[in-house]
Order: sequence, then structure tokens, then C-alpha cells
Amino acid sequence: MPATDYQASFLGRISLRRNQVIAMDGNHEQEDLELFSKHVSERFTELLSPPDDVVFDTLLSISWLRKLLDVFLCCEAEFKAVLMMGDDDHPFQISKPPLDRLIHEFLDRSIKALDLCNAVTNGLDSVRHYQKLAEIAASALGQKPIGDGQARRSRKALNSLLMAMSVDDKECSAVKTTERSWSFSRLAVNKDRSPGHLRQVAKKWSAAKQIQAMTWNLVPPRGAEGSGLASPVYTMSVIMVFVMWALAAAIPCQERNGLSATYFPVRKQWSWDQSITGLHEKIAEEWKEKEKKGAAGLLSEVQKMEKLVRNLMEFTDSFQFHGGTDEKAEEAADHAAELAEICKRMEEGLLPLQMKIKEVFHRIVRSRAEFLQALKQGGKSSAPPV
Amino acid sequence: MDGCQSTIPTSEGDLHVVAAAHHIVKALGATKNLSDDLRKILIDLDAHLSMITSNTDSKGGRGFVNVEERLKQAERKILSWESDPRMIWDSGPREASKYLEAVDEIQTLVDGLQGLSVHENRKQKELIHHAMSVLQMAMSRLEEELIHILVQRRQQFDPKHMTSRSTQRDVVYDESFVSVEDEPTEETSSRNCSGDEIGEYIVDLIHADVIPDIKSIAKVMFTSNYGPEFCEAFIGVRKETLEQYFAIIDTEKLSIEDVLKLEWTSMSSKMNKWTWSMKIIVRVYLANLKGHDSWLLELGEAVAMGPHQPEKLLRLLDMYETLADLLRDIDTLFSEEAGSFVRLQFHELLESLGDSSIAAFEAFRVAISSNGSLYPFPGGGVHPLNKYVMNYIRMFSEYCNTLNLLLKNQHVDVADQVIEPDNGPNLSLSTSCPMACHLRSITSSLESNLHRKSQLYKNEALQHIFLMNNIHYMVQKVKGSELRLFFGDEWIRKHNGKFQQHAKNYERATWSSVICFLKDDNPGSSSLSKQTFKERCKGFSIAFEEVYKTQTSWCIPDPQLREDLRISTSLKVVLAYRTFLGRNSAHIENKCVKHTVEHVEKFLLDLFEGSPRSLRNSRRW
Repeated sequence: MPATDYQASFLGRISLRRNQVIAMDGNHEQEDLELFSKHVSERFTELLSPPDDVVFDTLLSISWLRKLLDVFLCCEAEFKAVLMMGDDDHPFQISKPPLDRLIHEFLDRSIKALDLCNAVTNGLDSVRHYQKLAEIAASALGQKPIGDGQARRSRKALNSLLMAMSVDDKECSAVKTTERSWSFSRLAVNKDRSPGHLRQVAKKWSAAKQIQAMTWNLVPPRGAEGSGLASPVYTMSVIMVFVMWALAAAIPCQERNGLSATYFPVRKQWSWDQSITGLHEKIAEEWKEKEKKGAAGLLSEVQKMEKLVRNLMEFTDSFQFHGGTDEKAEEAADHAAELAEICKRMEEGLLPLQMKIKEVFHRIVRSRAEFLQALKQGGKSSAPPV
Repeated sequence: MDGCQSTIPTSEGDLHVVAAAHHIVKALGATKNLSDDLRKILIDLDAHLSMITSNTDSKGGRGFVNVEERLKQAERKILSWESDPRMIWDSGPREASKYLEAVDEIQTLVDGLQGLSVHENRKQKELIHHAMSVLQMAMSRLEEELIHILVQRRQQFDPKHMTSRSTQRDVVYDESFVSVEDEPTEETSSRNCSGDEIGEYIVDLIHADVIPDIKSIAKVMFTSNYGPEFCEAFIGVRKETLEQYFAIIDTEKLSIEDVLKLEWTSMSSKMNKWTWSMKIIVRVYLANLKGHDSWLLELGEAVAMGPHQPEKLLRLLDMYETLADLLRDIDTLFSEEAGSFVRLQFHELLESLGDSSIAAFEAFRVAISSNGSLYPFPGGGVHPLNKYVMNYIRMFSEYCNTLNLLLKNQHVDVADQVIEPDNGPNLSLSTSCPMACHLRSITSSLESNLHRKSQLYKNEALQHIFLMNNIHYMVQKVKGSELRLFFGDEWIRKHNGKFQQHAKNYERATWSSVICFLKDDNPGSSSLSKQTFKERCKGFSIAFEEVYKTQTSWCIPDPQLREDLRISTSLKVVLAYRTFLGRNSAHIENKCVKHTVEHVEKFLLDLFEGSPRSLRNSRRW
């Protein structure tokens, strides 16, 4: 459900309730919490199946990621409403312990999420670089008949592309260089090019560590706590961690070593647990498979691209030495066409995805400011805890 | 390539056409009634056609020979460089242009061959493939050369100059509000660096003299449809270069978490560097970039997000103004669809910076009100809080336009609003603009705070000295800067009156009891009794010495004010003393008059010097 639709209906419900003259008891808050859980569960269950227009066999495609981020935005909007609305009946409830501590932890997590958003956005730049190289390769091989020059041209681009992908994937390298993989012998020798301590993110920063830090202290609320506002805070935290994890899994960003093994502390108590856990497991499985082969991010388009690129590399290699047979040439042309298709998808989808991530970024920033404001106000007027 | 167009009539049909044309030309040339122009044209055409026919083999079927020859020749040139480890563009402009000519030649041949779609025979296909193959080799080489040129001729970016300038500006107003120091330097270096300074540091990432080379390579590559390769190489190197520059400016890239935790001094220098970077880099670089402003955006967002401490205000305003200025350029450069996303982000950042600035301004006001003291400020001089605030707001006038824009909708406390007729046509400089109102509100808070601080003194006279000093300081600051345009004459007059009132109060509090001893009880009678006179003298001495002991340790920093107060005091006290002694001259003996008038005069000069003295131990009589 698109974010705007949801918000409209939810807010409609709120105003309706406010007009009711009937005396309120504490139960309606419980209703809201249950509803929130239910919606979360529904949305994530929907995500278990890939969007209609996608033909990949893996989950993490560009359009799926966009949907995931939409789901995040919806959940976040509902979450904020639930938390802030509680204020009307119990003013400044969120500034009272233990909720205030939980919210502070949540806000700390959201800051880490912001850094991840930035890292992922940078990672998308790498993907765009792949796209450009792939376009060169695909168009060179698209011309019939394939000449020697075109084959070499394509091969050069494919080579650069594979090198770029493998550099991005080096999970053991703590420092990611942004140096392009110039496949020129002359330039490699050239001394005046400094290897560069270039970084796109802070030196010691690591996506894996960041996400692990987000899961620290992420404990499901127990007992009496579990029935209050602590539980949506927990739910939203899990959602945030999951979304960031999925993004980091899909898109090459710095230092993802060990990310596949991120532990999600969920109890199979709530309805949404299963859908999120289900997704988590599915993605983790895909990851384990790819880890053996080595991959620059799980993004379906990139995965497919890599496969095609390797095929085409084989072709251009053999072409160089044996000249092309018609059959092989046909095959290559088909692969080139598929590659061009993927590039087109990327061309259409990458920018909207980047914009979506920025939207998420700004939403987190704004919500954080609102929560801080509410906590401050609450702090002023609340009596010191006994 | 733009010069002589060489045509390649290689098919038999074409050869016939050429021969026919030649024939016609010859026939026309024989005509008698030709104008000079027409004759000239015919001669040209004749020569051209001759060249063509002489170049082609009249026997059909071997029309490609010439093409093959030319291709081989160009190929030789290109191959000769393949095995050469040197870079072509390092070997001089002649070599470079010869290479480019060869590439051009191949391009022309390919065009010509591909243009002949009529007879697609094997030979033609072979030639095309051959040419394309050589072309690819050349393109690959050109890509290498391009990268080499870009990397070789990167401008050296000297960060030392930049950092020293920015640290100069950091000297003022880098104290955090919490720890207000004594007397920050009054010399504030101008906030805006002049255009020249920026000009010095505008680093175009490519040196000017290689631009023609790059252009010529670009032309050749684009014409051969190798534009994408050119772009990737070009963008790649520039991206690398930019990131190197960033690395030099700011060796540590921080995550948002880190930025939020920064201590003030580091934060301040980061914000300065941000502003510099924006000015330099965005101005030069935006044209080609789309993803690389991300660093700037991220840092800008992190800064805007952070706690809104009052000391950040000026830096935030710097950032805001820089971005606002550049936004015009950004808008123009990114007017197309793909760029609008970036544009949007910059606009959003601008808004965040605006909000942060307002919040910092508020925080400033709150900090002033809530700045508490436990102990009275020794000596009664100008309080550091006062100095900090006044010097800080002095710098606001430079940001007047921006602040007026941002503060337009902010509510101001109406207390102490001075209504004054508008100062003239320039609305932003009037005393009623939003910034002026907020400034007066700030000084009003400051005054209230100073009043509270003055209550900490037990000695009433000292309270007045304190307030006199401080209000005088505020007035001086306003008068001596552009602030006077915002505060207005009315405010100045009013506050002049205030500190003068405090001066009077001081005099009354201190000296009335002392002068009491010198009063003339009975105007009518000529003198007092000896006994009374003695008592009076003693009383006066003790009181005077007490005042002396206490008030020599007090402080009036402003020399003019000190002088004025001394004169005023002197007039009262010395005059009274002189009169007193004069009236009772009969009783004067050395013993009971401890101090002469001259002595009293002299001692008064010691007051308010800030160094405590006592007359008890003084042997001066």
C-alpha cells in the first residue's frame, strides 16, 4: 500500500476517534498496537514474493528494494503516530522511564542507519559505473557482424567491469579505494599516479560493524513492558535494522565482512516476526551461496549482469583467437541484448532508488528531531522518577 | 578533417560520373563568355577532378586499392606507437597531431566505406573490419593518453595556505559559550574573503594549457562513437582528483555519528572547511559531477542535524549564505531532469541549515538568560559574558540580509522595544527590521542577566559600578560598529542615561556618608567647635581611608569613564573638603588633619585602578 494512502486512512481513523464523546479507557491504545503489528506483518509478507514486473530468481532487485523502502516509510509513519498519539491520553509518556531510554537507544540506531544510507547511496554510484561499462560492452557486441575491433572494445569494457566488481567485493579490504581499475600497462607503471588513500566513507567504518552495533541492546521487551509502547519501539527497531541490512547486502558498500551472519534477536511471538524472519532467512541463504562464488552485492541486476559478463568474456576471448562461429555469434548477440536490457532497467531504476533512500534519510532525520523535541518537553514537565 | 574532403569513388558507376563531370567542365571551359568568377570555379573543379581520376585505377574492380593503401599507411602510424612505451602527448605537439591525423584518416575511410551500401562485397567488408580494428586500437590508446594528460597536469592543490587562513578566522569566536574567556581579540578578521583570495584557490582540476589537447582527443573519440569511453575515463580521473582534494582538505572523513559527537573546536574547523570547500569546489566542479557533491551534502546534513549550540550560529550562517549563493549556479547547471534530484537535495540542505541557524539563534538567547553566576565578578569590571555577547552580535550585521530572512517569522519579546522613525529608504538597515528587533531583545536579556549578577555584590556602590561599567561597554560597542544602525539613536541615548544614572547612584552610595562629615550644620555660624572639628576630621579620614581601601581594588576598565568619574567625584569631595577646612582653618593643626586637600586629590586618582591599596600603612602624610 503506498505510503500516502495508508496515512490518509490512518489519520482518518484518528480524527474519528477524537470526535467520539464516549469515555476512553486504556484499551484503545492496545488496539493501536495490535493494528500496528498486524500492518507490519501484512506488508512484510507481501514482500516475500517479488514484484510482478521482475523476472529475476533472486529477491533483491531494484524494484523490490524500492518496495522495501516504501514499506519502511509506511511503518515509520504509523509508528510515529502510535507513539505520539499516546501523548494525548498520557502526556509525555515517551519521556518517562523505561520508555525514554528505549527511545534514546532507538534514536542512536537511527543515526547509524543514516550513515548506512549514505554508504549505500555511494555504493549505488559504483553500480552506475558498472552500468556504463556494460552499456559499452553490450553495444559493441550488438553490431552485426561482430568485427575484431568491436570484440576487443567489448572485452576491454567487460574486463574493467569485472575488475570493478571484484574490487568492490573485496570484503577483506578495510579501505576501499575509489581508484578506477585502469587496465593499461603503461599507466600501471606510471609513477605519478598515487595509489591514493581515497575513501568514500570513514576509514574505520564498516557496514557490518555498523549493523551489528545497531543490534546491540536490541532486546525484545519482556513481561509487562511488552504490552506498552515498548513493543512498537522494538518492532520499529527490528524493521530499521532489517531494511539497512538488506540494503547493505544488496549494494556494494564498505566492509561487509560477516554481515551475512547478522543475528536477529526476534522471538516468534508476534505475527510480523515470521515474515521478517522469513525474508531474512531467504536473503541470508542467497548470500551464503553467492559468498562462495564472490559477488559484488546481491542486487539481482548486478548478479545477472555478472553472469552475462562472464559469458561474454568467454566469447570475446575465444573470438580473439578463433574468429566467431555463427552460432556463438548469435548466442553472444543474445547475451548482449540481455545485458542491454539490464542496463536499461538500471538506467530507469537507479535514480528513483537513490531518491527513495534520500527520502528515508530525511524522514529519519525529521522524526529524530520530533522525538528529541517531545523528550525535551516531557523532561521539563515530568516529575522526577521516584 | 574539416579541410579537404577526400572522396573515394571506388565503384565503377562513380568513376563514370567523375569522368562525365570532367568532360562537362572542359566543355564549359572552352566557352568564351565566362565571367572571371565562373572561370575560376571551373579551373578549381578541373583540378579537383583531375586529382580524383589520377588517383583511381581506371580498370574497374580494383577501386579499393587506394583505400587499402591509405588504411595501411594510417595503420602503420598507429601501430608504431603501440610498441612504444612513451606517451604520445609527452613527445610533443607534432607527434600528437600526426597521430590524430592518422586516426582521422581511418575515421574518414570507415565513413566512406560504410557509406557505400550499394555493393556489399567481401572486400569491402574486410576493409571495414580492418579499419574498425585499427580504430579500436587507436581509441584505446587515446583513452590511455587522455588519462595520462589529466593525471599529469593536475593542479597542485596547496592546502597550507588554505588552512592557515581559516585558522586565522578561527581565532575569534571559537570559544564555546560555556567557557567564556577574558577579552577575546577585538580584531575580527573580515568574514568574507575577497574575491581575489578565492580566485587564488580556485583550482580547476585541469591545467589550462592542456585543454586544447583534451578537446582534440574528445573530438576524435566522439566522432568515432567512442564517446562513452571518453566520458568514463574523464569522469573517473576527475572523481579521483576531487577525492584526493577532499582528502587533503580534511584527512578524516567522519560518519554522522562522529560529527554529532565532535567537540566545538574540531566542529568549528570542519564547518569552516566545509564553507571553503563549497566555494572552491562547487564553483568549479559541478558541471561534470553528479554523485560527488554527496560528500558535501552528507557533511552539511550532519552539521545541520547536530545540537544547535549558540556558538555554531555564525558558522551556520556562513554555510547558509555560501550555499544560497551557489544555489543559483547549481540550479542553472542542473536544470535538466536527472540533475534535479541533486538540486532538490541542495535546496533541502539549505532549508535545514536555515532551521538550524534559527535554532542556534534561539539557543544563543536562552544561553544568555540562563548564564548564571554563583559569585560576584571581582572588581566590578566588564563581565566576560557581556564581552562575548557584544562582540558576537557585532558580527551579525554582516549577515543582516540572511538573518532578516530567517528571523522574519520568529516571535520577539516586546519588552524594551524602542519605537523609532524609520532611518531611511533602506529597510534592512532600519531599526525595525527583524534582526534589529531580535538584537535588542538579546541585549535586553543580557541586561537583565547583568542586573541579576549585580545583586551578588553586597556593597551597593559596587553594584552600581558594575552596572555602569557594563552598560557603558554595551553602548560603546554599539556606537563603535554597524550595530548603531540597528539599535538606533534612541536606544543609545536611553542607555547612556542608564549608565550615567548608575554613576550618580554610585556617588551617592559611596560619598554621601563621607561628605556628611564635612557638612555645614549651621550655615550661619562660621565654624565648628574644636572638638567637633576633630571628630569630624577623624570621621572623615576613617571613612575616606575605608573607601580608599575598598575602592582601589575596584575596576573601571574604560579610561574615559574612569576619568569622568574621578573628576566628578573629585569635584564633590575635594571641594567639600576644601570648603570644610577653609571654614575651620582656625582649628587646623598638623595632628588632627591627617590629609591635606592635595593628598585627597592624589588619593582619589588611585581609585578604580584595580589594585588594592591601603592608607593605613602609608607613610605619606
